[in-house]
Amino acid sequence: MTLLGLDLDYVACIVLFCVGLYMLVAKSNLIKKVLGLNVMETAVFAFIVTSGMIDGGQEPIVVAGSAPPYTSPIPHAMVLTGIVVAVSVTAVALALIAQIHAHYGTIEVDELKELP
Amino acid sequence: MTTLGPTLLPWLVALPLAGAALVPIVARRDARWAGGFTFAVALATTALASVLVAQLASQGPFSADLGGWAAPYGIELHFDRFAAWTMALAALFSFVIPFSWRYLDATLPRERWAPFYALMLLNLGGLLGFSVTGDLFNLFVTMEVVSLSSYALVAVAGRGVAAWAALKYLLLGAVSSLLVLFAVGLLFALTGSLNLADVSVRLAAAEPSGAALLALASLAVAFLVKAALFPLHVWLPDAHAIAPSPVSAVLSGLVVKVGIVGLLRVLQLAAGTGISLEPLNTVLMVLGATAIVMGAFLAIFQDDIKLMLAYSTISNIGYIVLGIGLASPFALIGAFVHVFNHALIKVTLFLAAGAIIHQTGYRTLSDLRGVARRMPQTAAAMAIGAVSIVGLPPTAGFVCKWYIALGAFEADQGGYGFALVFGALFIFVYYVRMLDAFFFRSPVRPEVADAVEAPWSMRAPVLVLAAACLVLGVLGGIPIGFVEPAVVDLLAALGR
Repeated sequence: MTLLGLDLDYVACIVLFCVGLYMLVAKSNLIKKVLGLNVMETAVFAFIVTSGMIDGGQEPIVVAGSAPPYTSPIPHAMVLTGIVVAVSVTAVALALIAQIHAHYGTIEVDELKELP
Repeated sequence: MTTLGPTLLPWLVALPLAGAALVPIVARRDARWAGGFTFAVALATTALASVLVAQLASQGPFSADLGGWAAPYGIELHFDRFAAWTMALAALFSFVIPFSWRYLDATLPRERWAPFYALMLLNLGGLLGFSVTGDLFNLFVTMEVVSLSSYALVAVAGRGVAAWAALKYLLLGAVSSLLVLFAVGLLFALTGSLNLADVSVRLAAAEPSGAALLALASLAVAFLVKAALFPLHVWLPDAHAIAPSPVSAVLSGLVVKVGIVGLLRVLQLAAGTGISLEPLNTVLMVLGATAIVMGAFLAIFQDDIKLMLAYSTISNIGYIVLGIGLASPFALIGAFVHVFNHALIKVTLFLAAGAIIHQTGYRTLSDLRGVARRMPQTAAAMAIGAVSIVGLPPTAGFVCKWYIALGAFEADQGGYGFALVFGALFIFVYYVRMLDAFFFRSPVRPEVADAVEAPWSMRAPVLVLAAACLVLGVLGGIPIGFVEPAVVDLLAALGR
């Protein structure tokens, strides 16, 4: 398995990451920024899961008749934990945005910057 | 006695985390109990940490395998001199918590006390876990525990401006965490291991590759964001200035050090991999020196004392990063010692500032003129903190900055030594401005003219911490002697 070659799945992850980064940086709406963050997270998760895959790999459960090669289960475990972290971050972010909206009546960054 | 260290090590992390879960239960009957309970947990954790440090001193580094899975497959906790040195950071929590008791009376509604204390303990647990973990993925998870509790702590005061500062902090923090996760995934794909020591060995055995370089670079950038190194500091001033003072003390003194400890872990990983660290060290030196001068320069224009202290943190992170970049024995020792000494000084300053704001209700230099007349003890503590952070002898700040400056000349980078002294002059200017306003001006506000000293639960931590700033300056050889073996090991691993 080559890394950083031109494997299509890695290219897709990089593109997805850049789309998310663009949303995070360029959008003025705070919810869209958080969505951009989620897209970036998905790109990283997809990258980690794909990195554990192998051509012709089987699910890593040893039963009668199963034979190597197996796909690596550890990236899945890592991504599961990563998803939990990502959900918590999103929840905190949305709660903060709700507070900002309740206090200022807007969630647009350019309008928030003009406020005293 | 021989197995005490490995048995106790997991409890160091578990104790504050379990305490955090119990805080809301303790606070159910009466919210005031949460403060005492949290203090007890923080003290117990500090006591446990000192037992572990004593074990380290008598038997050398030790590890614990979680869940009975041996390293490199299971999660390994590792207690070495780096980890032991960061235990001193955690001890500062025992000062911040009692300070919070009366401070919260005035700043937070009672139903928010339990979440506040629970978040503080979560933060402590995450910090301890981060410094003792020997596992890459665990490093990411504990870092997220610290980060998430920090975002929430910034917003805990619950006004719109706090939420906005916390969200800015969160967006940048989440991106840097994501970079760490990406790097961890990449390193696992490259080496098939998550154990830090094991990954380092396997990276060294493999051919140096672009992917390994990318992973280490992502880790370095991510940790520099967490450390708020200029120009990645944009999230810091608002978050640190708007948070309640005990939170500012923890964030500014301890949480930014997550980035520094992480950076040291990256250096340990990269040591021996055949990847040249020269470019990284050059970047660290240039950015460190820039951070010293820019942080100080920006602080001069602040009127708000907490904003001023926040910019001062940016300068001091610059000192530490410069010391790491110089990578000479003196500079590294200075940087390591400054990781704790800056935390001690900054916690002193933020708590003293918090006490002054609590007693007067004002937070700008122009409003706080003459406050030293009515609060002489707190103002004296503030003065000691200010002198320490400028780096004048005989205070805690002098020792580290002197070593980093010596290290600059030792590494034949005298120019950075001058940048350091120049930065210290800038820092001197704005702290003199503060001391002038506090001590030599007449009060302009009636609240300041009639202020009384802070209650003892706030004053005692501030005074003890200020005394510690002086003691660590006079006895500066003790921390230096403690971290020196760790620095020698790191430099040997880096091949110097």
